[in-house]
Amino acid sequence: MVSPASSVQDGHRPGLGWALPAVVFFALFAVVPLVLVAVLSFTTWSGLGTPEFSGFDNWVTLFHDPVMIKSLWLSVLLTGLGVLVQTPLSILLGVWAAGPQRNRAVLSAVFFVPLLLSATAVSVLWRALLDPNFGVPAEAAWLFGDGNLLGSRTGAVAVLVLVSTWQFTPLHALIHQGATRAIPAVLYQAAEIDGAGRVRQFFHITLPQLRNSIITSVILMVVGGLTTFDTVLILTQGGPGTDTTISAYYMYQKAFKGFEFGAGAAIALLLVLVATAVSLVVVRVSGFDKMAGTKEGM
Amino acid sequence: MKTRARFRRAVAGGAVLALSLALAACGGGSSAGGSNEFHVLVYGDAGNRVEKQLVATFNKTSEVKAVLDTVPGADYQQKLQTVINTPQAPDVFFNWGGGSIQPFVEADLLLPLDDMIKKDPGLKANFLPSVFETARVGGKSYGVPMRGTQPVLLFHNKKVLADAGVEPPRSWDDLLAAVKELKGAGVTPIALGGGDKWTTMMWFEYLYDRVAGPELFKKALAGEKEVWESADSRKALDMLRQLVDAGAFGTNYDSVKFTDGGSPALLASGKAGFELMGSWAYSTQQEADPGFARNDLGYGTFPSVAGGKGDAAGLVGNTNNFYSVRKSTKHAEAIAEFLKLMYSDEFVEAQLAMGNLPTTTNTTKFLDSADNPEYLRYQYDLVDKAPAFQLSWDQAYPPKNMTPIYVAVQQFFNKQLDADGFIKAMQDLTTV
Repeated sequence: MVSPASSVQDGHRPGLGWALPAVVFFALFAVVPLVLVAVLSFTTWSGLGTPEFSGFDNWVTLFHDPVMIKSLWLSVLLTGLGVLVQTPLSILLGVWAAGPQRNRAVLSAVFFVPLLLSATAVSVLWRALLDPNFGVPAEAAWLFGDGNLLGSRTGAVAVLVLVSTWQFTPLHALIHQGATRAIPAVLYQAAEIDGAGRVRQFFHITLPQLRNSIITSVILMVVGGLTTFDTVLILTQGGPGTDTTISAYYMYQKAFKGFEFGAGAAIALLLVLVATAVSLVVVRVSGFDKMAGTKEGM
Repeated sequence: MKTRARFRRAVAGGAVLALSLALAACGGGSSAGGSNEFHVLVYGDAGNRVEKQLVATFNKTSEVKAVLDTVPGADYQQKLQTVINTPQAPDVFFNWGGGSIQPFVEADLLLPLDDMIKKDPGLKANFLPSVFETARVGGKSYGVPMRGTQPVLLFHNKKVLADAGVEPPRSWDDLLAAVKELKGAGVTPIALGGGDKWTTMMWFEYLYDRVAGPELFKKALAGEKEVWESADSRKALDMLRQLVDAGAFGTNYDSVKFTDGGSPALLASGKAGFELMGSWAYSTQQEADPGFARNDLGYGTFPSVAGGKGDAAGLVGNTNNFYSVRKSTKHAEAIAEFLKLMYSDEFVEAQLAMGNLPTTTNTTKFLDSADNPEYLRYQYDLVDKAPAFQLSWDQAYPPKNMTPIYVAVQQFFNKQLDADGFIKAMQDLTTV
């Protein structure tokens, strides 16, 4: 029997066969559909009969469609707001939950409950909670006014940000909790000897040490944010008007409500390109691709 | 190297999205019919009680079993269009007749029922001809009525109206006066589940019918887009604007939905006086609050408009729903037997018990023994005497217009669009 380690030492790499399952899976469920969608974006197809080739028609229409352009900005806005709100919250929660105290372990378990629910269930729950006549707003008119949260642009965007924050902050807190626990205790001991207080320790030890986990979580938020769909479907259905019609939802409207699968495919492809570009930029700007260690000299 | 890994992950993220599109386009969902059963796909709502009962009745005697699948209302159309051309397609499916099945007929997916009718003439003769006509395309019959006729009515809470000293309105001016009174009494005059958007659209359908007559919309649908700019069209929009500005719907209607029970609860709990809704609102209320449905749920026709071209007896809504049969089904004979149940006495009685009004010829003989004969007789007479019965706008136009219509009606109500903007939005719709 040859152990993997020794085969690498001998200069033999594991056979390509080992990569086959992953490659087949990726090709079947990612590459092939992506290619099909790309082809579909150059056709007109209502779901019945065979797609008809229509050249760049879908693309030309798309770039002249004010709703499409607005939807891209909305996607970026929602994603940006999501990152701004969730990042500080999840860092604080994660760092707090990393402590060894028993009560923190119990409370953390409670905080993670939203993560276990499906986005659909979460949205239905919040819709009922936010009903202007029978939900929370009816009981707290001093705060919500007439409760027209989902009927106004600001209100609807705020609700979407709130609901995804409620749901996804635990995931990111979990990432930061793990990363915080991996910080060597010796750093804090040294800081204490130097007279640094808890706040100072947080900003000068914890945060810099969390750098890589923060970047990971931001990329997850960006990709997740750009493809947000279920919360919009159930909470706002893109309304009022088109004020929360983000690109992913617009794709759904075109493809599955209007049965213009060609136009839907073009939006999907555009979304793939934008999401790819954005995460590449994040990776480049943050220096994450160099994967610099945070523990030099230790 | 790491950049490359990131890149791949990002592509994978995007591809999952693309995948969901492609997969859904290929079908999926309900299992393919076994050799000895056929699938019946129905719009999921309170009315499913009758469909369940009839499927059970059918399965008691039939070798080939019927399997009922339901899809929650809002997703029905989408699911149907997605699966209809796949091996998972239902053998029998619910639809709105006319425009909603025309694309399927053109794609040669539906079974003309004329052979079945030849064998059993009752499959046609036992239904009111005007309703049966709705599912005829190109001279062939493609559907059998399978629920009740659903005109849109103006429902009200009798107690709320009585407390405010308001009578159910007969004219538009009555309605405006009632709005003022109810507002003064501290209730929302009219419950509107604006979050659903088609609820808002009903107000446009009736105002256009009353002010301009049924002809305007028929012309618009046929491609005469200039009718949207006519004086009648502008007058209808002015009147809607006036109603919204009078606070008839309150201010938070766009956060309320009919489909999740929000606006029916407003009416039932006495927080609102009126609601404009399809006749199915009766079964919705009966399901949610039987006491209210029995004692305090009032109903009437949409008010007349003085000087308008439309008849005060004109209706909008759904003439009926239909069962259509997929051409490639293996169980046409069993399905013919199943469809015969749609004019059975059991069917009529079960629909009547739900507050639905079947459109079979034997319906009249059960009207008096039904739960709420008054409500049913009332609708029956309305449908019988209506000079025009306009199919809902979102069903009358080809499906790709549904979202643009919904957006336009919502934006006109919340003032993101003015009359010119609304007219332009309607002119931008695709007609056949």
